[in-house]
Amino acid sequence: MKMMKEIRRKSISGFVVLLALGFFFYLTAGLMGSSFAQTKPAEVKVKPAEAKPAEAKPADKPKPVAAKPKPKVPQKLIIAQGTDVLSMDINHVTDAPSFAVLDHIVETLLKLTPAGEIAPLLAEKWEVSADATEYTLKLRKGVKFHDGTPFNAEAVKVNFDRRLDPKAATRFGLLVAPIASVTVVDDLTIRIKTKFPYAPMLANLTHQANAIQSPASIKASWEKPVSKPVGTGPFMFKEWVTGSKMVMVRNDDYWGPKPALEEVTFRAIPDDAARVVALETGEVHVAVRIPPFDIPRLKANPKITIDNTASVRTIYMGLNNTQAPLTDKRVRQALNYAVNKEAIVKHILGGIGRVSDAPLSPGIFGYTPIKTYEYNIEKAKALLAEAGFPKGFEITLHPAVGRYYMDVSVATAVAADLLKVGVKADIRMMEWGTYLPFVLRDREVAEHKIFMLGWGCVTGDADYGLYALFHSGEWPKKGNAAAFYKNENVDNLLEAARRTAKPEERKKLYKDAMTIINDDAPWIFLHSESQVTGIRANVKGIVVHPTERVIAREAKIE
Amino acid sequence: MSGQYIIRRLLIMLPVILGISLIIFTIVRVIPGDPAYILAGPHATQEQMDQIRAQLGLDKHPVTQYLIFLKNLFRGDLGTSTRTGLPVIREIMTRFPNTLLLALASILLATVFGVTIGIIAGVKQNSKFDYLSMLVALLGLSMPVFWLGLMLMLLFSIKLGWFPAVGADSFKHLVLPAITLGANSTAIIARMTRSSMLEVIRLDYIRTARAKGLAEKVVILRHALKNALIPVVTVIGLQTGTLLGGAVLTEIVFAWPGIGRLLVEAILSRDYPVVQGVVLLVAIVFIFVNLIVDIIYSYLDPRIRYH
Repeated sequence: MKMMKEIRRKSISGFVVLLALGFFFYLTAGLMGSSFAQTKPAEVKVKPAEAKPAEAKPADKPKPVAAKPKPKVPQKLIIAQGTDVLSMDINHVTDAPSFAVLDHIVETLLKLTPAGEIAPLLAEKWEVSADATEYTLKLRKGVKFHDGTPFNAEAVKVNFDRRLDPKAATRFGLLVAPIASVTVVDDLTIRIKTKFPYAPMLANLTHQANAIQSPASIKASWEKPVSKPVGTGPFMFKEWVTGSKMVMVRNDDYWGPKPALEEVTFRAIPDDAARVVALETGEVHVAVRIPPFDIPRLKANPKITIDNTASVRTIYMGLNNTQAPLTDKRVRQALNYAVNKEAIVKHILGGIGRVSDAPLSPGIFGYTPIKTYEYNIEKAKALLAEAGFPKGFEITLHPAVGRYYMDVSVATAVAADLLKVGVKADIRMMEWGTYLPFVLRDREVAEHKIFMLGWGCVTGDADYGLYALFHSGEWPKKGNAAAFYKNENVDNLLEAARRTAKPEERKKLYKDAMTIINDDAPWIFLHSESQVTGIRANVKGIVVHPTERVIAREAKIE
Repeated sequence: MSGQYIIRRLLIMLPVILGISLIIFTIVRVIPGDPAYILAGPHATQEQMDQIRAQLGLDKHPVTQYLIFLKNLFRGDLGTSTRTGLPVIREIMTRFPNTLLLALASILLATVFGVTIGIIAGVKQNSKFDYLSMLVALLGLSMPVFWLGLMLMLLFSIKLGWFPAVGADSFKHLVLPAITLGANSTAIIARMTRSSMLEVIRLDYIRTARAKGLAEKVVILRHALKNALIPVVTVIGLQTGTLLGGAVLTEIVFAWPGIGRLLVEAILSRDYPVVQGVVLLVAIVFIFVNLIVDIIYSYLDPRIRYH
């Protein structure tokens, strides 16, 4: 009897302990509630966000056909990228995901349309001097920054002062390095003078790194990144939970077409699979960089659409032109014939990509198709034999790791193809942070032979894609031409293409330059990337830009 | 358990933290890779890269850098993240509670389920329950965290729609990550409890308790369990430490905004101040957890005395 009581007491006390633990746990969760978002995005449901029931509207509509009022869908969009935005200061970031986010809040003077043309944005009209050294831009009237200060020539000047001030150490210096001075002509006119004739200047102004921030905001934080972005864009900054998400709200005073969306949230979901899952459950509306193997399944899902847009990013296997046997043009051409690029794009990238027929991607000003080195093992072997390597040779090959779409797989496929012509490539893997400085070393100490890299021609102008990579003055450590390519004719052509502002002339010069480059084969030309983005079917108006940005300005949720 | 002992343990923390700070400071700088390069990016001019390097304080002699680091550390300033420009303390404090929550939830799950299963399996040795539970434990040990997380997502988020897949916005978001992270620990704790239980049950004093006529439940829960739990508590302490650091994979899969992910991202981008800050923090927490474990020991077994 007593024992029963004892047992019951013990059971009850045990139960109480468990309850207490549970309660403590719940309390902890509540205390940690500060790390839980205060504002739960309305779309964090597991079923896709469909229409919410509307309040009853009065039936006394003038229309004879009593149309049922369309239910109001909350216009709060959630976009998932692979990384979080790295800074609130657009002058302090270098990665496409950060630019994509901040682009909605701070705007550039000019914009690049998805078709690759320069169009007005904060600047309405512009004039270029005949010698391509003076750029006069007429700014849009009546535009205000989110903090109420006016947008004018003085504001633009302050921004460029910061860009050119070495102490401010803003990024993407290559875009503004040619600028000699920026002067205020009048309240709405600005003049940019370059140190030398530099026709790509306008294209450079379309890049997000040159977006215009509120002078008050950057003056308060000249040498350090600003803690919140203040621009002229269709959305305004609301909050940033670092590593997790960034929220922006509609700017009701926007000078241009007002967005339909009330709020846009950019989330960071680093794992590819998890990002796709989040799209499928409806927790996010847009997911970037869908892995190739998920695409068929998503295409079959009626609630999801797949967007496939070309990217300005070219992927290539650079060849160290100063180290034997790569000094011999025949060897380099042989390597190009040996690699089956179509197969790589088809089977490894799942068709998501475009075999390179020029050192630039299409859609970039100055692009013309030159030729591809077709897959031809016999020709490759013949060239190698001619160059004195009938049995091939041994060489190192460095892939990029975790940087580009299926990079390691692509590099491995290249190595396998090279083996078929007797070139034994020893694959050396390096983590990106170690790899980048490794391939950007001085010629004397450089150890890289075959190395994989990509280059996004983000200004949409051939100069940015060719000069930096093929001009002999851009060898590391100063520049990025890690293939150590040198051809005086190419140098002259690229310089000439900068000196004239006439588009037709420039196009011709670039075509000539690219023809020589293609023949010299300083790289194994591979492919341009494509961007595969998954979008919920009820979201319309999302634009994926070739410069790797998801643009939600005109989007709406139905 | 004397107060003196606790104070002594806390004082020893200081030189240990110092030692750790020196080690981590050296290690990140020895790893190949240049933060200035990574920060500046390929589109920077050489001038800007040098400027950035100066801004990061990396142009100074390493010893000078370390002394500056120590000086700031004593003022409670862990520096600024080279990537985001935000104070390291802020970066850590926006994320640490999330990792702590996840680790606590996981260890709680693991303890409650692990100990319960372990007790039953130990008491009912060789029964169906015993075999089944130890089989499941083996599975729990062998399943890669990454895979388990994705499988749970597929089942509970996509197919059933019961729980959200990513993020840390609500209580519901905690469930799948906690199960994923806790699975491994549950298995370990269950097995540990079972084997410890098996040992203790065979001891003389248990036979005495039974002979006294006490109910089996009392024998198990009051007399056997306390002693059986001693090695288990050790394991729980170690697991907590592991969970704090090892939550990385779970955090990545579920996009859980914790310090594990922060640390990995900081290492990949050579964000020295953040790496240093996170490692120091984890070390401090680990030391505290061990201290608590030792205190719990002395309550479980009065024979254990510290001086």
